[in-house]
Amino acid sequence: MKETPDIKPPKWADRFFEWYCRNELTESIQGDLHERYEAYLSSLSKRKADSLYWRDVLLFMNRHTLRRTYTRQLKTNWITMFNNYTLVAFRNILRNKAFTGINVLGLSVSMSICLVIITMINDQTSYDDFHKNGDQIYRVTHRRSTGVDLAIATVPAPLGKKIREEFPGVEDVVRFRRGVSGEILDNGKAIAINGLFTDTEFFDLFQFELRSGDRSTALDDPFSIILKRDIAEKFFKTQDPMGQTLLIEGLGQFKVTGVLEEFPGKSHLEFQALASFSTVPLLENQGKLSDLSNSWDKASASWLYFKAEQKESLRDLQVYLDELTDEFYNEESEFTATFFLQKMTDITPGPLMGNQIGQSMPNFFVYGLIVLAFLIMICATLNYANLSTARAITRLKEVGIRKVMGSTRPQLIFQFVLEAVLISLIALAVAILLLNVMLIPAFEQLSISSILGWELVPDLNIYLQFVLFSMLTGIFTGFFPSLYMASVQAIQALKGARIPKMSRVGLKKSLILVQLVISVILIISSSLVHRQIKYMITRDYGFEKDNILNIDLQGQDFQLLKTELEQVSFVDKVSGANNIPSIGRHDDIKVRRFVSDEQLEFNYFSVDENYVDNLDLQLLAGSNFNPSISGSHRQLMINEQALKTLGFEDPSEAVGVNLILEDSTSSKIIGVVKDYNFMMLYMDIKPLILQHHPEEFEWAQVKLASNPSINQITQLEHIWSKLDPNHDLEFEFFDEQIEDFYSTFYDIVYIVGLVSILSMVIAGMGLLAIATYTVRIRLKEVGIRKVLGARPGDIVILLGKGFFVLILVGTLIGSSLSFLGNKAWLDLFAYRIDFGLDIMGIAFLFVLTVTVLTIGIQALKAVETNPSEILRNE
Amino acid sequence: MRFNLGEFEEIVLLIVAAQHNEAYGMSVTNVIEEELKRPVTLSSVHTALYRLEEKGLISSGIGGTTKSRGGRRKRIFNITAAGKEALLEARNARSRLWSLIPHFVFGES
Repeated sequence: MKETPDIKPPKWADRFFEWYCRNELTESIQGDLHERYEAYLSSLSKRKADSLYWRDVLLFMNRHTLRRTYTRQLKTNWITMFNNYTLVAFRNILRNKAFTGINVLGLSVSMSICLVIITMINDQTSYDDFHKNGDQIYRVTHRRSTGVDLAIATVPAPLGKKIREEFPGVEDVVRFRRGVSGEILDNGKAIAINGLFTDTEFFDLFQFELRSGDRSTALDDPFSIILKRDIAEKFFKTQDPMGQTLLIEGLGQFKVTGVLEEFPGKSHLEFQALASFSTVPLLENQGKLSDLSNSWDKASASWLYFKAEQKESLRDLQVYLDELTDEFYNEESEFTATFFLQKMTDITPGPLMGNQIGQSMPNFFVYGLIVLAFLIMICATLNYANLSTARAITRLKEVGIRKVMGSTRPQLIFQFVLEAVLISLIALAVAILLLNVMLIPAFEQLSISSILGWELVPDLNIYLQFVLFSMLTGIFTGFFPSLYMASVQAIQALKGARIPKMSRVGLKKSLILVQLVISVILIISSSLVHRQIKYMITRDYGFEKDNILNIDLQGQDFQLLKTELEQVSFVDKVSGANNIPSIGRHDDIKVRRFVSDEQLEFNYFSVDENYVDNLDLQLLAGSNFNPSISGSHRQLMINEQALKTLGFEDPSEAVGVNLILEDSTSSKIIGVVKDYNFMMLYMDIKPLILQHHPEEFEWAQVKLASNPSINQITQLEHIWSKLDPNHDLEFEFFDEQIEDFYSTFYDIVYIVGLVSILSMVIAGMGLLAIATYTVRIRLKEVGIRKVLGARPGDIVILLGKGFFVLILVGTLIGSSLSFLGNKAWLDLFAYRIDFGLDIMGIAFLFVLTVTVLTIGIQALKAVETNPSEILRNE
Repeated sequence: MRFNLGEFEEIVLLIVAAQHNEAYGMSVTNVIEEELKRPVTLSSVHTALYRLEEKGLISSGIGGTTKSRGGRRKRIFNITAAGKEALLEARNARSRLWSLIPHFVFGES
C-alpha cells in the first residue's frame, strides 16, 4: 500500500458524516472509511477515490448509524417548560422596552407593507373564483402578424359562429361583442350605457344569477336586454323594470328581459348590460353596427369563451384553430392571426394582453410584489437576527444556567424561537393598526387603485394569513440567533462569556452597506421624481391656464352656448376647441407645401378666433382667424416648430403661404404663434397646425374674470340646462385638469417615498444592531482609554469613525447607481431637472442623521459607563 | 433453525470467528473482497456486523489504531458463545443436506 499521508478524503464528506452519525459509532466507522479511502487511492485517481468516498459515506446512512432523536426524554415537563418560556419571554420583552420597541417598530413597518401586498394578492386572485367549473372555462385569444407583439384577447367576429356550428368538442360557446353603447334618455336626462352582446349560453357558462327573468330565454329574442341591478334602479327607480323598453340612441328600442343579481364576487367581465346576440345581425344589416360577420381581418370587437370538460378537446380545438389560420390567411394577406387558448383563471392576474374585456392586472406585477415582500422581510429578519446576537450577552447567563439544569439544545432553540414569535405577533398587531389606519386609506386614494379596481378589505381569511405570515416570520427571525445561543457552552456562558468572534462583522457590514445603498437610491429617486413632477406642473406652459373653465359640449352647438355665455357678467371670453391642450390628446394631420413634396406629419387642433387671446398665446406674425370672411376654414395658423419644419427662417415669410393638407385642399397660413406646450409635458413641442373648424369643437373654454364662486357655477349650470335639458353641465377647471392628468406621477412619488422611508427604517435598524455590537465588543477598550484620560468626544469619534466611512461609501455607490438608473427615465422627458449635487447632499445628510442618531446614542452610552464597572473583573 | 442466519451474515460471522480478536469492519471487508472475490460496500459489512451484534452473536469493544486511520480507534468484534453455536448449527444443517444428495448427481462414479 502506497503511503499517502498528505491526501485527505473530502472534508465536507467527513463533516456530513460526523453530522448524521451517532457519536459512539463515528470514530470506528470513520476510521474504516479512511482506511478504505487509502485503499482506493492506491489504485485510483484522487477524483475517483473522492467520489467513491462520498458514495460510502452516503451509503452508511441507515438505522444503525443515524443519530437518535430525543424521543427518549421525559415528555411530561413540556407544558411546564412552555409556560416558563412564555413567562421569561414576556419578562424580557417588558424589561428591555427600548430593544423591544425597536424590534417591534422595525418588524411592523416592514410587515405592514407585506400585509398590503398579501391583501392585494388576495384581491387579485379572488377574480372569478365563484364560477362553478371555473377551471374548465377557456377563451380564445390571438396574436397578429402586424403591430405590437402582444397577445390580444379578442378574436375575429366570424370565429365564434364557426366554432359553434362546426366544432362539437366544446360546450357553451359564448360570444361577446362590444357595441351596446349609447345614451338612454331618462326623464329628460341622458345617461350613457355600456354593455355587451352575448349568447343565451352565457348563463350556463358563468355563474351569474338573474334576480328576475328567465335565464334560459332572456337572451333569445332580438332586442332583449338584461341590466345590472344598479343600472336598472337608475332607470326605473322603484318600478319593475321587467318588460319595460329602453331606447338606446343609435341602436334602437330594447326590451328589458332580466335584471342581474349582484355579482357573487369580482369578475374580469365588465359590463352594465347584456343584449341578445341575435340583435347583432339585425343591427349590422341596418348599418348601425359595422358588419363584421365575414371580416377575418378585423379582430378587436369580439370575445369568445367556452367550456371544455376534457383536456383532449382543447388539443383538438387548437388543431382546428390552426387549420382555420391556414384557411383564412395566407402569406400575402396583410393581416394574419394565430389563435391560442387561455384558461379563465389565468386572465387576471395574467399575462399582459391587448383588448381585455375589463381591467386586469398583469401577472408580472403580482410576482414583482411577492419578490418585494420577500426582500423586505429578509432585510428585516437579518437585522433582527443581528440585533439579537448583539444583545445576546445579557442572556448568556440564563442560557448557562438552563444548560446546567439540563436544558437540551432543541429546548433552548424552541425557547428563543418562541420569543421571536411573540415579538413578531406584537409587531403584527402594530402592523395591522398601521395597515388599517394609514396604508389602506392611503392606497385607496391612489388613482391607479381606482383604475385597477383594487379592493383592499381584509377579511377573516386574510387575517388568518396575516397571523400565519407573522408566525413564520417569527420562526424564521428567531431561528438563527437561537442557534447561536444554544450552541454556547454552559461553562463559557456562566463565566461571563466572550462575545462571538469578529469574523462575521465583515459580513454584517456589507449587509448594512447594501441596505444603505438601497436607501440612498430610493431617497434620491423619490426626491428626483418629486422635483421632476413639480417642475413639469409649475413650468411655464406657454399658455394661460388659470381661471379657465373647460366645458364639455356633449354635442351641444358651440355658437349657441357661446352667445349665451358671453352675456354673463363674469365671463371674459369663450373660445372653442376640439381638444384641450397638454393633457395628452391631439389629432394628426398630413401636410405638404407642394404636391411633389413628401408629406409631413403635424399635430392638429381645431380652434376659433378667441383661442389665441383666451390662452394668452403670442402671435409672432400675421393675424388671427377671421370667421366673418367666407372660407374661414381654409385659414391656418402654425407654431414655431412647424415654421422650422417647413423651412421658413422668419415668421413673416410664412404668412400668406399655401399648404396642401391631406384631403388635398389647399389652405393659407395667416398667422404664426409662439410655441406652447400642447402635448404631454414630457414630450418636445411638435409642429402644430391650428385650423378654424367650428363643427369639430368638443370643448368650450371659458375665461372667467376670477376664480368662480358656487353661485356663479350655478348660474352657468342654469344657462346650460336651458340649452340642453338632457345633459348635466360637465366642466373642469383647466389647471386642475392638468394636475389630474399627472396624478399617476404623484402616485409614483407616493409609493417610492413610502418605500424609501421603509428602507431607511430597516437600514437604521441594521446600523443600530451593528453599533450596539461594536460598542459592546470595545467596551473594555473604552474603559481603559477613559482611565488613561481620553475625552468623551475622542471616544465618540473613535467609535463612529468606521461608520462614517461606511455611510460615505454607501452614499457614493448609491448616488452613482441612482444617477445611472434615474438618467434612463429622466431622458424620456423633454424638459427635465438636473441631477445635482444637492440631491446627493440631501440623501447623505438624511443617512447621516439616522446614523448619528443610532450610533451616537450607543457611543454616548459607552462613554457614560463608569470604567470601574467595566474593568472591575480584570 | 434457532438462529436465523442470512447467507451474508453467515460469511461475516465466519470471518469474525476466523480473525480472532482482530476483526473490524475494514478487515472483514478486505477478506470478502480478496478471498471471495465478491465486491462489497463497507456499509453493508458494517450493517451486517451491527445486526449480528443485535442478535447477540458477536460482541464489540474499542480496540487499537493504525496510522492510516488518522488515530481513530477500531471497533473490534468477537464471536460470542451463541455465535459459535449458530455457526455450528449452520454447518451441521448443511452437511446433513449434503449427505442427502445422491452420488450420481455430481457425477461421481
